[in-house]
Amino acid sequence: MKKWSEVALGVVTSIGGFLEVGSIATSTQGGAEFGYRLAWVLLLGILSLAFLMEMTGRLAAVSKRTYADLLRERFGYRFFLLPLVAVFVVSFLVLASEIGGVSIALQMATGISFSWWAIPVALLGWALLWRGTFGIVEKGTALLGLVAIVFAVGALKLHPAWPAVGHGLLPSAPSENRARYWYLAVSILGASISPYLYLFYSAGAIEDEWTIEHLGVNRVTAGLGNLFGGVLAVAALIAAALVLAPRGIRVDRYEQIAMVLASPLGRAGFVLFLATLCITCFGSTLEIVLAIAYMLAQGFGWAWSENLKPGKDARFAMSYTVVILLAAVPIAIGMNPLALTNVSMVATAASLPVTVIPLLVLMNDGDILLNHTNGWPSNIALVIIALLSVVLLLAALPLQLLGGG
Amino acid sequence: MHAFATRAGALLALGLTAVGCGSPPPLDKQLETLSSWTATMQLAREEHGAGAITTTYATQLRDGALSTLEETKQTIGQAAHSKVDSSYAAAALDSLRTAIRQLDAETGS
Repeated sequence: MKKWSEVALGVVTSIGGFLEVGSIATSTQGGAEFGYRLAWVLLLGILSLAFLMEMTGRLAAVSKRTYADLLRERFGYRFFLLPLVAVFVVSFLVLASEIGGVSIALQMATGISFSWWAIPVALLGWALLWRGTFGIVEKGTALLGLVAIVFAVGALKLHPAWPAVGHGLLPSAPSENRARYWYLAVSILGASISPYLYLFYSAGAIEDEWTIEHLGVNRVTAGLGNLFGGVLAVAALIAAALVLAPRGIRVDRYEQIAMVLASPLGRAGFVLFLATLCITCFGSTLEIVLAIAYMLAQGFGWAWSENLKPGKDARFAMSYTVVILLAAVPIAIGMNPLALTNVSMVATAASLPVTVIPLLVLMNDGDILLNHTNGWPSNIALVIIALLSVVLLLAALPLQLLGGG
Repeated sequence: MHAFATRAGALLALGLTAVGCGSPPPLDKQLETLSSWTATMQLAREEHGAGAITTTYATQLRDGALSTLEETKQTIGQAAHSKVDSSYAAAALDSLRTAIRQLDAETGS
């Protein structure tokens, strides 16, 4: 019974935590500009993330060490600096975007400019991290994030042509505007497969004291949670394809996105959109700050746990304090949150090889995983994801230049 | 190796400069942006009329459209290379101005 409740909570947490500023922005931009044609990219991102989370969760449950710990131990400190710096930089950008997402939702609700909200949002996040526990951060915000289900309701209310949606799940490319199409594809993948997601998941498995007994919970959480969560991102794309695309509306500002729910669901849709943007971005803010602090603490060998009092892991607590306040600065000085989101999603996609490729070695190391090493289906999936990450690295900058405008 | 890195760096800087600070976006892109904001204003007017969105939010959308209008007014002339181009540009700017006025009338701003 306890196991089933853990599974249910894990799946619900993944659903509630799936949507965030990047997935909302890139899915609606994709739907507005290319209808359902980018739905397959979302599916690819969801599947890739599910595999990566299952593997990093398995690593943590079997070895009792986080993915970051194992990266440092197995490949040495010098190599570890590469993923440390890459993950720090891109996660910092995504963090600033998430703070921007919360701030823009508050701006839409109150009329007070987003730049005024950035520091209060960061301080509230910091206070929750300082006073709260891992359970509050992970499960509390994710359960509130279930409000994002409104995207599925909105999409259903718009009565999409399901055969056309199904067609969008098959890879295709448009005959024109290709640079923009592939730029959005890379952005969607960056939003779906952010390294902070599986680094946080891996650290969370240690915080929750997972053991080999939890491998089933891990598999179901990573698989079903991401699948159901991904459905919400697809729903956002569908809603944008049906509300914005027929009118020729491109998403140039976050403010335009609220229409995708206000149109089918009226005032309730508008209010729930603001709630979704605010809560999901705030939840992601907390997760990303923790993911960065975990990575630093695990890399430098500091004491770390969100369940400890800050005095017991002072350097870990200092890391998240400094990082969350610094990340509020770009938004506080008025940087465009949507432009920042797009750049950070592409940068995230480009950073993937340094955390994905080492997983190929770790997941086949019998000293670490005993008899829980990857089977051939997982290895094939991981090789495909690793190749995809290299393609994203090579394509990110040219596509940012050609299709980012 | 050093020379290659220097050349690659210079090329990258040149590319970024060209894209970031160079000529204005092509006319079709600017027309697309104007048309997108005109449609946004029309949708906002409909939804505000139906009570789906607040006046506070509609005003923010209007401000976004106004800022796009101002930006595009500065650059669209440089991208219009013929009389036909200029007439398209003027019509698109007019449409957006009209849509903004209509939204203002709807919200009472």
